Amino acid sequence: MRIAVAQWHVGVALLAAVFLAGCAGESNQSAMDPAGPAAAEIAWLWWIMFWVFTAVFVLVMLLLLGALYGKRDRSNDDQAQPPLGPNGFIVAGGFLLPIMVVTPLYLLSLKTSASIGPPREALTVRIVGHMWWWEVRYPEQDIVTANEIHIPAGQPVRLELASADVIHSFWAPRLHGKRDLIPGVENVFWIEADEPGIFRGQCAEYCGTQHANMAFQVIALPADEFDAWLAERSNPAVDPAVAQARRGFEVFMSAGCAQCHAVRGTPANGNVGPDLSHIGSRQMIGAAMLSNTRGNLMGWIADPQAIKPGVKMPRTYLDGDSLLALVVYLEGLR
Amino acid sequence: MSAVRRAKASGHPGRDAFSETWNEPTGFPGGMATVDNFQIGVRFLVTSFSFFLVAGAFALLMRVQLARADNDFLGPDVYNRLFTMHGTVMMYLFAVPFQEGMAAVLLPWMLGGRDLAFPRLTAFSYWVFLFSGLIFFSGFLFDAVADVGWFAYTPLSAPAFAANGIDFWVVGLGAAEVAGIAAGSELAVSILRLRAPGMALHRMPLYAWAWLATAVMIVFAFTTLLIATLLLELDHDLGTRFFDDQRGGNHLLWQHLFWFFGHPEVYIIFLPATGVVSMIVGAFAGRIVGYTWIVVAILLTGFLSFGLWVHHMYTTGLPELSLYFFAGASLMIAIASGVQIFAWIASLWRRRPVLAAPLLFVLGFVFIFVLGGLTGVMVAVVPFDLQVHDTYFLVAHFHYVLIGGAVFPMMGGVYYWLPKFCGRMPNERLGKWSFWLTFLGFNATFFPMHVMGLLGMPRRVYTYPASLGIEGYNLFATVGAFVLAAGFAAFVINVLYALRYGAEASQNPWGGDSLEWALPSPPNFALYPRLPTISSRHPLWQQETDSSLDHPWQHVVEALDHRPEEWRATLLVDMISGEPQAIARLAQPSYMPLVASVGIVLVTVGTIAKLFLLIPVGVLISVAALFKWHWPSRTELELMRTSSLPKETGLPIFTTGSNSLGWMGMLFVVAVLGWSVGTLLYSYFYLRLYSDEWPQGGLPLPDRLLPAAMFAAIGLAAAAFGWAWSSFRAAHKLRSMVGLAAGIALLASFLVVHVVQLSREEFTPQTNAYGSIFFVLSWTVDLVVLIGLGMAAMTMARAWLEGKHWQLFLALSVQMTAHYGYFAAGVAAVVYGTLYLSPYGI
Repeated sequence: MRIAVAQWHVGVALLAAVFLAGCAGESNQSAMDPAGPAAAEIAWLWWIMFWVFTAVFVLVMLLLLGALYGKRDRSNDDQAQPPLGPNGFIVAGGFLLPIMVVTPLYLLSLKTSASIGPPREALTVRIVGHMWWWEVRYPEQDIVTANEIHIPAGQPVRLELASADVIHSFWAPRLHGKRDLIPGVENVFWIEADEPGIFRGQCAEYCGTQHANMAFQVIALPADEFDAWLAERSNPAVDPAVAQARRGFEVFMSAGCAQCHAVRGTPANGNVGPDLSHIGSRQMIGAAMLSNTRGNLMGWIADPQAIKPGVKMPRTYLDGDSLLALVVYLEGLR
Repeated sequence: MSAVRRAKASGHPGRDAFSETWNEPTGFPGGMATVDNFQIGVRFLVTSFSFFLVAGAFALLMRVQLARADNDFLGPDVYNRLFTMHGTVMMYLFAVPFQEGMAAVLLPWMLGGRDLAFPRLTAFSYWVFLFSGLIFFSGFLFDAVADVGWFAYTPLSAPAFAANGIDFWVVGLGAAEVAGIAAGSELAVSILRLRAPGMALHRMPLYAWAWLATAVMIVFAFTTLLIATLLLELDHDLGTRFFDDQRGGNHLLWQHLFWFFGHPEVYIIFLPATGVVSMIVGAFAGRIVGYTWIVVAILLTGFLSFGLWVHHMYTTGLPELSLYFFAGASLMIAIASGVQIFAWIASLWRRRPVLAAPLLFVLGFVFIFVLGGLTGVMVAVVPFDLQVHDTYFLVAHFHYVLIGGAVFPMMGGVYYWLPKFCGRMPNERLGKWSFWLTFLGFNATFFPMHVMGLLGMPRRVYTYPASLGIEGYNLFATVGAFVLAAGFAAFVINVLYALRYGAEASQNPWGGDSLEWALPSPPNFALYPRLPTISSRHPLWQQETDSSLDHPWQHVVEALDHRPEEWRATLLVDMISGEPQAIARLAQPSYMPLVASVGIVLVTVGTIAKLFLLIPVGVLISVAALFKWHWPSRTELELMRTSSLPKETGLPIFTTGSNSLGWMGMLFVVAVLGWSVGTLLYSYFYLRLYSDEWPQGGLPLPDRLLPAAMFAAIGLAAAAFGWAWSSFRAAHKLRSMVGLAAGIALLASFLVVHVVQLSREEFTPQTNAYGSIFFVLSWTVDLVVLIGLGMAAMTMARAWLEGKHWQLFLALSVQMTAHYGYFAAGVAAVVYGTLYLSPYGI
């Protein structure tokens, strides 16, 4: 059991490393690094449980070591009894200890649940899960976008969750826990970010081939910037000014893109893939897989299957000029 | 092994005849007919452990894929199939069957019976289990492997989204459930009735207590899943709408049914392992304190485990109040587990034990399981679960609970009982190596996963971006997984080594207290030619003080010493007191279990390949095999009738009611059928609760009158069977036969009219979910009626053929038909009320 104890130290060290590291990676998705009130409450609960349960675990292991190696009255070696006698020991450890730990925890979790309840009034965003991307709608403002959820910082946002195909689960760990998107069920959830920033999230319910790459970003903006964003997004796409972009629009309409994608203000109104009305201003493509650069966009359009095998978008067969023109057009949709 | 186990000739003619009766056929094809609990148990162990190795290899491949961020070693298609098969195989084909195999071997040894209650059912269970595994894996041959996860959530697993791999999964699972239910029923009856004289419930080894709870849980949990998978398969093959949200179906219904099975499943895996731990701790500490506490904890765990399923569904948006009910129940489990842990620690407090391999694995179990239990309490806390649900924190938690809570005790148990299995000791040095590699490898693999989950890594992802900052933990876990694999390899090598080169084992190398340690290693086929008598909880420790000659059942044991000689029998005891009640006949070897399971294979192949004609063929073969299986041999009946044992022992051979194994078996058949009907009724009302209108789709309310008359026929048939039984007891053979015939006629006419009525409904099972559940419930009544018809027909056929001893030979058959009839009438009443009356009100 000596090595068992050493192993335990390794465990504590591992967790301590996380604790100290705090911010884990550049696109941090850590539930222990909360950036919103609900996530903060849950993280607090976690640390309480962590320390209490660590104490319980150490206690049980010490008792086990005591049972194996504890000092014995040599004369009576074969009949040694645990502290409090066998029955007292079992009652204390098996009944009282769990009850003493679990009862306050239960009450605490009720309190946490109450304090992370949904807000009364808030901006509503409708999220529709698709295999394997997120449709994002602002019903009151008549805005449709995808994979990037812009919200005002410091304000709660109400989420209506629905699914277009199978079950998904919405999870932005730094803002809140998760809630499922179930076909035939209308679920409601909410998030809030304390400060402006970008918070990554991803689907947490297995939903098929590309479940792993069904991510999104919550982009919290200062209130005034958010209002400006809303205003800007309500406008339809403007006709492209550059000739190359106009050529790109023709490619878009003729190569089949428009059958699945919509661009507001044009005849393109497909609803199989994400709405592209403002694709040019998105930070990422492919459901938060790749940054939205010209190279990535061209690569994606040319062969999405190579990047995200199984994705519903087929590869396209465009010559270089057409592809470049298409990308220039898309970049102009801001 | 068979040569060693052939009962030794003693030169005593009666003893030779006895040994001959109990000898089992071996080799090929004879071995296919064996019904010996030891041989079949070992087959279970070897087969399920092979599945474990394959699923473990899948896990290693997955760990390689996840070792690096953005890795393309496997790709999503392969990865998703592998994680589905890993979970499926580990849960359905390894964890439960392995422990069932162990129980099949150990329980008769420990309880002091000569075999399990239904030896042919043991064989049947094994064959069906083997075939279910082959069906699962044959998907690889056809490039049709399920990729929907072991939980197969709809609609991903429903017709709209699932590829053909799902057929192999659903059908393989259905077969595995049938095998599990058969084994569960058999083990429960064996524990309750086939014990050594004097082994009262309160003297039963804790391993048997753990299995008693587990076996009952298996029957109810697996039946629920059987119905769930049946509904899913009907959606695929028949176009029903249970999981079609456009037609009134409901996806959360699947989750409720699945987790109503899935949560008890965890305890089905865990409880037998705690039984193993209690036995090892008892042997190494030389005592077990808190026996009663442990028994209560086992029963409490079993009971509570059925009230926890919703804690897998916290994130589905169910009302918070209901979540807290389940959270409370989940936390209560902590008490039940705590009691067992502290009872073991208190037992170990006695002396400094030898740290041999079995105990090391038990200590490793305590370390890992306590950690897993504590994280289990964490995930039962609703707000925290919202974060860690479906993340690697959960993956870490349940591997701690399942590997720590079950695999470690299993490995410890194999080391512990191996000397009894083969008469040789495992290598202690290699045993220690296997323990430390397994223990360190396990923790290195799964401890970092807690952190990965908290850092935001969801489950069931084939890759993750480097930017999440979890690559280091993943790499560490992958390295740990290979250390863990090395530990398992050392374990396998040690077992193989022991079988061939191990030092010769003494009869009781660890100083165990239970009966099996008094048997030769390995035991003879008959196990106990002379049955043991029990007057304490620890028979082997108290042998010296126990003057067994004074035992009140000494004369019974004397009379049954190497007897009966020409048919197989063991003692049937009172469930509570362990007092002998009857001499129970046990079945001889037979090919029929294999034939019946082949029939089931044909049904499954027909379902998968959409060759639906194969299904009736398979059913016919299975039913025919079942009739032949249960048809008693006339010579055997004559031997039983003329036996002098009843005179010598005062115990009957021909019994009825709960003192007969047949009736006990029927009790479990009725439990399975009743629970199936209950699951379907739950589905009916669940669908209705979430429907805006009922019947759905503007269908009219059902007609009440004709069905009332129709279903009343089942009640009348039950009355006729009941009359037949009371006439039988009054020795009126003719009246009794008239009663049976009337019942058969009533049931048959019900079936005809029911089929006609169903064909005239203006909706079909495909119309909407209402139509689906309406028809499936109706068909279930038909099935219940058909089984009753079969029983009554078999009874009448035997009555026709039996000569003057009909009263002796047929009593049980007639009684079972009557009792089954009451059950069928109850089902008919409840289903009628649900289908035809409840839409009007309620």
